[in-house]
Parts: sequence; structure tokens; C-alpha cells
Amino acid sequence: MSLVVGVDIGNSTTEACAAEIGEDGQVTYLSAALGRTSGVKGTTANVPGVVEVVRGALAAAGRDPADVQAVLVNEATPVISGLAMETITETIITESTMIGHNPDTPGGVGLGVGTTVAFAELPGCAPDDAVICVAGAGTDFEDVAAGINAATARGVRVAGAVVRADDANLIVNRLREPIPVVDEVTLVDRVPLGMPAAVEVAEQGRTIRTLSNSYGIATVFGLDPDQTRLIAPVARALVGNRSAVVVRTPAGDITDRRIAAGGLTLIGERAKRSVDMDAGAEEIMETLRRVQPLVDADGEPGTHVGGMLARVRDTMADLTAMPRDAVRIQDVLAVDTFVPQRVTGGLAGEFALENAVALAAMVRTSKGPMELLAARLREALGTEVLIGGVEADMALLGALTTPGTAKPVAILDLGGGSTDAAVAMEDAEVRSVHLAGAGDLVTSLIDSELGLESRELAEEIKKFPLAKAESFFHIRMEDGTVRFFDEPLPAEAFARVVVLADAGMQPIRTRHGVEKIRQVRRSAKRRVFVTNALRALEQVAPAGDIRRIGFLVVLGGAALDFEIPDMIAEAVSEFGIVSGTGNVRGCEGPRNAVATGLVARHASARATCAAVRCG
Amino acid sequence: MDREPHSGRAAESGPGPTGRNRPAVVVLCRPGNLHCLRELGAGMEEEGVPFRTEDATGGSAVELAFAAAQASNLDVGVGVDDAGSVCVHHAKLPPDMPALAGRAADARTLGHNAARLVVGIPFKDAPVRTGQ
Repeated sequence: MSLVVGVDIGNSTTEACAAEIGEDGQVTYLSAALGRTSGVKGTTANVPGVVEVVRGALAAAGRDPADVQAVLVNEATPVISGLAMETITETIITESTMIGHNPDTPGGVGLGVGTTVAFAELPGCAPDDAVICVAGAGTDFEDVAAGINAATARGVRVAGAVVRADDANLIVNRLREPIPVVDEVTLVDRVPLGMPAAVEVAEQGRTIRTLSNSYGIATVFGLDPDQTRLIAPVARALVGNRSAVVVRTPAGDITDRRIAAGGLTLIGERAKRSVDMDAGAEEIMETLRRVQPLVDADGEPGTHVGGMLARVRDTMADLTAMPRDAVRIQDVLAVDTFVPQRVTGGLAGEFALENAVALAAMVRTSKGPMELLAARLREALGTEVLIGGVEADMALLGALTTPGTAKPVAILDLGGGSTDAAVAMEDAEVRSVHLAGAGDLVTSLIDSELGLESRELAEEIKKFPLAKAESFFHIRMEDGTVRFFDEPLPAEAFARVVVLADAGMQPIRTRHGVEKIRQVRRSAKRRVFVTNALRALEQVAPAGDIRRIGFLVVLGGAALDFEIPDMIAEAVSEFGIVSGTGNVRGCEGPRNAVATGLVARHASARATCAAVRCG
Repeated sequence: MDREPHSGRAAESGPGPTGRNRPAVVVLCRPGNLHCLRELGAGMEEEGVPFRTEDATGGSAVELAFAAAQASNLDVGVGVDDAGSVCVHHAKLPPDMPALAGRAADARTLGHNAARLVVGIPFKDAPVRTGQ
């Protein structure tokens, strides 16, 4: 009998599996342990992480570290992945043509048309002038209301108002004749004065009808067809708002500009093609398919993508002491996304959803400093350390310990930086592939699409279900069920969407509803994991035919996700193959496959040795 | 000023129940704090939530707010004490755990938030002040 520990150093976690191996190769698995990988996978920085999980596994098995005969480590090769996003559209309002920020409580109802005039100038307006009153910071609502009432009494037709503070209803409640008022306009001082303008506020629960309609604006300002064509984007930008202001200025406009985002050069074995980032993800992936297999990729210097690819290359070159130009980008994944961005020239902090393309890239080398790592581990652990086994082979061996699996089997390992797949056919031939784009890209998409500006929060949204705090004592989960609490919830969570993280409930401080956040989360997972699962399986399946794979076992951290395995099962169901989350050794779930595979391989090698000796 | 500082327009208009039975946020305030009351009222009025004000005889802002919340048939009360502390409370919360607490200088925001507690929308942040 001998005691061995299999150790799998992964991108983010290090896993260990302790086992007893009998003379005949009979394996008795004792325990498993899991910890964070210290440093970049496949480098000497991994030593502390490995030592910790080895001790953890032995402690769980109740065994003395001195009894360990060998520690088996996988051939861990460094994988560096990078992410970049290029925004490819931009919205610009020129000459402060419109205000469309949707304040919570605009005042009054209806449409008012007149010439913009500063509140202080109201007494100077002649009777019968139609005006829109613009009140800046520090003007009290009582004074504004009194001023408008006085002007109206003199016969000035005050048709609407635009104000800085959150007091539209306070003003309207004090007017003799109510008018539409749009409030919370942060840069109200920049509203052009002396220009024709229209203010529209819809009833509660409705959206504006006139200013969101090109012909409505044309009617209000008496525009000719050419001018109407010019203001059409303004109308489009205001669709769905409860309130809006449109100011007619000589060259006022709102434009959707396309930003040149630079090019991406994809170098294949036989062909080399360039594609513009602003062509969108579909075009980029199509170009990739045409040059496949990819040998290298390059981005235009000065763009985000160019910078990211250079960074990935530099990091890998530093880690492996390879010359920088010997580092090759092995795969890229482009995903269409959108980013809420502050509108240039907006007066009230308006946001517009801009189109963007996210790009993930990865490099992997076969030359990790493994011997050095093994030597350091020998020192730290005081036992023999054996490096053995290609990662994909080991993972397949481990996956096959899942009850109900048999060859031909494929594994799909959904990690943080890359998506890996391997397939083993009956004849033991193993094919594997490593693709760019995994959990980190999903986090980025969630972060940018919801405008969170917090990767930590995006990570939690990715991992945990949502709920809405409906009172101080209950929340409604995203599936509609209700959970009650004995202690009152914190005030920050009140009426907000929260994510039910392990560390507790975390409020999401945006205006997005549960449904919207859920939809962004699911679509990000689908765009990355489902796309990559199919891409990876196509590349490893015999003759690219996924149907010839019998069993698909999903492994890795993402396999523990609460919805990703279901999405993948749904996506591959049309191929008629058995697909599910792995359950390594019938008890470890999707974890520990490589560590288990290392032990199994070691045991069968010993059994062969023993048989040879006997014979 | 041509209006009483502590009368909410929304609470005055329209037919229906009157006086103490009318659905309203209750504000219990030590007499004399007119500016604070005006700002609280403005916040609630802007959100479109009715309120009524009653004079308090004594107690801390938290105690007043809890008593006010008990008296309100919207379950939300505001308390203002002599020291200028303002507190927003909900009738279903434990007495010593108010929903929100602040100073008279934040009265407008606290008014908004008392109303939002009724309406069920997220609270507004107090404006950032410098030099304190």
C-alpha cells in the first residue's frame, strides 16, 4: 500500500486528491481538498497554494504527511488571458438641443412651446410672449412659482419650465395654471436662452407623444422636410421618456457617430486577414473561421484591443522568459455588447446605450518552468514530486469516474480565463482545444452592460440569484417566490434589487429592474459559454461532428454555476448526446477531475509495472 | 410666503376621509422648527405623498418618529427633536431601529425618503455638503 496525493494546479483553484494504492493497482480514494492557486498557473509562485491543499487533503484523510510516497502534479502550463472592449458608437448632442434624462418626478402634464428665458428675466417679458422659464441652482420653488404666477397675471404666456432642483411638483402645485415642468437638469445654466423650445411631460404611467415623434417636433417648430430629417434622431432619442425638452437652435443636432476602433489582424496557418473591430463580433468570428487554425493575432497600436494583446504577450514573455515575439495569441473570442455611456453635450447626465465589441484573447505555452516548480515542491513538502500527464488526458480519466459515463467521452472545462475541451474516442486518441473567453468575460459583460463600474458586484451578480427587497422584512426572489426575515433589512437595500451572495445581501444601486439584470446576466453567459461550448466541441469532435461524441461531461468552476450547466445541456440537446455536470468519483461533483485522473494514471502504471515484474 | 409652511397640498385636496383618518405620513415635531418642517414637507410633496404635522411634547427624534409611524395609517412617521435631529420610522420596525436618521440640514432628502418608504422606491442620497 502506498499513499499518494494528486494535485491539479488550475488557473484559479488548486485541487488535491489523496489516495491509497494497493500493489495490484487498486485505488482507495481518501479525501479531496481545494484552495486558491497562488500566482500564475505553472510557475514557482504556485508552491504555497500546492502545499496548502496537500496538507488539507491529508488532514481530511487523517494521514501523516510523512507517510506520503509521492505527490503527483499535472503538467501545468501557464495560460494568460486578456480582455478588452472597444466602444464603437458615440452619441453627441450639439448646442444643447435636447434634455431627455427621465427624472423621477417631473411636474404638470402636457406640451408647452415658447422661447427660453431665464427666470430672472421673466418680469421683463412682454404680455402675450410665449416663454419657457429656465430656473437655475439656488432658486427656491416658492419664488419660482410666485414669479411664474406674477408673469401669467400680466398676460405673459409661460408655457413650461426647466429647473435645476428636484422640485417640479412643488412648483406646479403652487401655480394658478399648471404647466409642464422638467426638473433635475444638472447643467441648466447651459440651456440656450432666447431660442424656441418645447417642454413635454406625460401623465404618470405614460410616455411622451409629441417630442418623440419627428412630425410632432416638425409641427411644433414649423419645420420643412429637410429640417425634419435633421431632427429625426432627436425624436428617436426621446422615445420611451416620460418627459423631455427640445430646444431649436441654428445647428442643434444629435448624432450617432461611429468611432473607428482600429483593426484586428488574424494570422492563420495559411491565410492572414484583417478585420475592423467596428464590424462587430459576427464579422470578426467569421474572419477567424476563415483563417483557422489561428497562429497569431495582432491589434492596431493605440487601441484597447492592440494594448490588450500586447499586454498578454508581455506577461507571458515575462513568465516564461520567452522572447516577446515568440509568444503567439492562440485564440480570440469577440462578443457584441453595449455600454451605457454619458452622452456628450447632455445637460442632465443623459446616458445612451452605445455599441461595443468585447474581445478575449489567450496564450498558452507548452514550456512552463515545471521542473523548477517540482524541485521547489520537493523542498517544501519533503516528498517525491512526480510531474506527469497532459492536463486534458488526466481530466478525461477523472471525468470517466463519473457514474454513467463511457468512451467516446468529451469534457468541457469552463474556467475563468479559458474554455477547454477534450475528447477521447474508443481508440484512446485524445484531442484537446483551449479557447479564449470564459467566466472573466461574462463578468466584464455584466459590469459594462449594467454600467456597474464594479467588477466585484458584477462577479456576485454572475454567481448568485437576484431578489427585490419589497419591504423591510421580505424579499421577492427572481422566480417570484418570497422569503421572510426576522431582522429588518438595511435601509440601503429598501426597494432595491439585491444579489443574494454568500457574504450576504448586496444592493445593486442602479435603476435596472430584476428582469433587466437577469436578462443581461443570462445573455452574457449564453454569449460566452454556449458559444464557446459549441465552438470547442466542433473543434475536438471527430470530423467536426458533435453527434459522434457519446457523453459530454461539464467540469470546472462554472459547472457549479446555478444556470450555466442547464444552458449547455439545452444547447447540445439537439445533437442527441448525453450531457451533464460531472460527478467525479461519484462524490466530488465537477471538481477534482484532474487530481483524480493523476492518481488513476499512477495506479494503472504501477499495476502494469507489477504485472511485468510477475511475468 | 402666502402659504402655511406645514400644509401639504396633496393632503388638502380632493374628497374622501378627513383629519386623522386620512392616509398620510405623520410628522411629529417640537414647535418652532419651521424651516425643517417646510423642507420635510417639500420633499414629501414632490414625491406626491400626503402628510400631516402634529406638535410634539417631548422625546428624542427616534421616539417621536416611532410614535408618528404608529399614528400614521401609511405606517410611516417622521420625528424632529429640539436638537435638530430628524428621524424616519416605519411602524413595523423595532422601536429603536429607525429606517433613516439625519440632521435638519438634510430635511428635504429625508422628506423625499419618508415618502419613498410609502411608495416603495429606493431612497435618495443626501446631497454632498462640504465644510462640515
